Amino acid sequence: MRWSRRRLIQPRAAGWSLSVRLAWRLSLFVVVAMLLSAGAVAWRTVATVHDLDDAALQQQVRVVADNLPPASADDAPLKLPADVVAPFRASDADNVFMVYGQTGRLLATSDGPTAADAAPFLPTPLHEGLFRVPAVTGDQQGMVGYVLPAGNRWVVVLQGREQADVLADSLMEHFLFGAVWILLPLGCAMVVVSLVTLRRGLRPLTDASAAAASVGPSHPGLRLPVADLPREVTPLVLAVNAALARLEQTIEAQRVFMAEAAHGLRTPLAVLTARLDSLGDIPEVEGLRRDADRMTRLVGQLLRMARLESLPLDVTEPVDLRVVAVEAITDLAPLGLLHGVNLALLGAEGRVPARGNHAALVLAVTNLIENAIGYAPSESVVEVELTAPGQIAVMDRGPGVAPEHRDRILRPFERGPAARAGGAGLGLAIVAQIAAAHGGTLMMEPRPGGGSCFVLQLSSAARAFGDGARTA
Amino acid sequence: MRILVVEDERELAGLLNGALERAGFAVDGATSCASALDYLRVATYDVAVLDLGLPDGDGMSLLRHLRKDGSALPVLILTARDAPEDRVLGLNAGADDYLVKPFHMPELVARLRALLRRPNAALGVTLTLGNLLLDTSTRQVQVDGVDVSLSVRETSMLELLLRQQGTVVTRAVMEQRLYSFDVQLGSNALEVLVHRLRRRLQDVGATVGIHTLRGVGYLLSEAR
Repeated sequence: MRWSRRRLIQPRAAGWSLSVRLAWRLSLFVVVAMLLSAGAVAWRTVATVHDLDDAALQQQVRVVADNLPPASADDAPLKLPADVVAPFRASDADNVFMVYGQTGRLLATSDGPTAADAAPFLPTPLHEGLFRVPAVTGDQQGMVGYVLPAGNRWVVVLQGREQADVLADSLMEHFLFGAVWILLPLGCAMVVVSLVTLRRGLRPLTDASAAAASVGPSHPGLRLPVADLPREVTPLVLAVNAALARLEQTIEAQRVFMAEAAHGLRTPLAVLTARLDSLGDIPEVEGLRRDADRMTRLVGQLLRMARLESLPLDVTEPVDLRVVAVEAITDLAPLGLLHGVNLALLGAEGRVPARGNHAALVLAVTNLIENAIGYAPSESVVEVELTAPGQIAVMDRGPGVAPEHRDRILRPFERGPAARAGGAGLGLAIVAQIAAAHGGTLMMEPRPGGGSCFVLQLSSAARAFGDGARTA
Repeated sequence: MRILVVEDERELAGLLNGALERAGFAVDGATSCASALDYLRVATYDVAVLDLGLPDGDGMSLLRHLRKDGSALPVLILTARDAPEDRVLGLNAGADDYLVKPFHMPELVARLRALLRRPNAALGVTLTLGNLLLDTSTRQVQVDGVDVSLSVRETSMLELLLRQQGTVVTRAVMEQRLYSFDVQLGSNALEVLVHRLRRRLQDVGATVGIHTLRGVGYLLSEAR
């Protein structure tokens, strides 16, 4: 249950974008709608023009039929009045009439060749109605004809489709251009309005994300804001808040338990220590005092270990590793003096910024120095060095750690063979735990010239912060 | 010196009061927030020892209440809580010191005396270590009762070290306390000053030693 802000903030969310998807779909919809409506209008217009053409065709047929001279018995060629024939002739084979006798013989026509071309396409047997002549007749668009019985003869009129289709084409063109000017801005406006609505609607989510990013061990009571959220995402935010509440309860329960445990364990020890102190300097009491002190140390380390394991550590504060080292050295200088061991801080002067938990880092370095003092020979120096960004090394001139013991001594209650009496074997385990909480490691190396070197290495994120701040 | 001890654990309170009385304090013992407030209302204390977990409330809220009323009474918190955030909370609430149980009586007494030595608590204090003595009001230094002449700055450094004897005085603190803003501080000014003071103390046979913690600061302790 360790929280690090790195996991809470996604700097750039992966996955698809609602805005982009909406924009695409709406644009596609607008284009399809434009094409469909343009097509529908064009289709309707062409159909209407065709209907009008068909009506004109029937009218022409009737004019011809009404002006037919009386029937002759032998189907002799007919002579139609000039005022009927003239407009057909003038149409340059766009409009052609034909009159067929009972036996299917051509009695009269305004244009012989066209009539001959069209003859194979006449309905057989002849009956009243429309028929089509494909483009083979020379007219590129094909022709349409109408057959009308007039007594025992048949009147046929052919008309080119050209006018209707040209009209349809130009209509389509005009319509599309007109429609684009109206529909395109309309479509754009629609997309923009949708995107603005979406962005406005989701803005509270940005606030919620910012709030979520600052939820952490130091602010467990924080909740995501629900105000102004669209109804669609409220359940998610409420569920997250409920989860945060449960988490806070758990952490709070742990905190209370740890405080109670500390109080419960330390109070009797305090009474014991005070009682021993009240006895004065009797030789027998000296040993008892040492026992009580050892017990006190053990309880303190156990509580620290338990706290690290059960409570989240806020490792996001800006810290100065130099200050951390100075505090730890300052704390332990008197103990060092007692053992004849001097302490020193090496490395450049000035701030060494990183991200982490100040108190925990001080505890870690304190434990490392305490450990080093325990093994360092008298009149030697335990050196603390800020070797690299996000790195603190503690070096002693003690016996060092044999390779086969290196993993073991980091485990709780495990102690090296050269360990001094009175230790609980938790110091280095606590350091390892604190290093892990910072996403880092505790490494152990033999030191050139004898002794060991413990390196507390913070995570690359903590280092990166340090680098950035230093170059800034 | 009159002291108020607020501690609800009866056995510990009894031992504490006894030890403090033997150390020369006039001790009043309270076992709850309410009784502590009663004591504070009727008597004037020089220092108080405050337990945090009290039956009728948190010692921290009592402390905040005191500070809100403008009381400058030095307060030492005595508690089983040693989480770093507890310590910060206590010091922010206006505590002057923080001691985690269990503790050794001599340490508690030493810390209480240190609180009483603070500038606002008393003026003209004599600081001693080994055969060395410094009168902070006359600025006179003596070794085995014989006057030693030191420069003003050497005396100030010695006072700083004596006030925190046995603990480290960091270089940053020294530079801040010994030099005014308009002094251009050379990179080794402190080293030179410490070197001179150390040699001077050696020459007159003082039984104290100034330990150098390279890169950190200095610590004054009795020579062994």
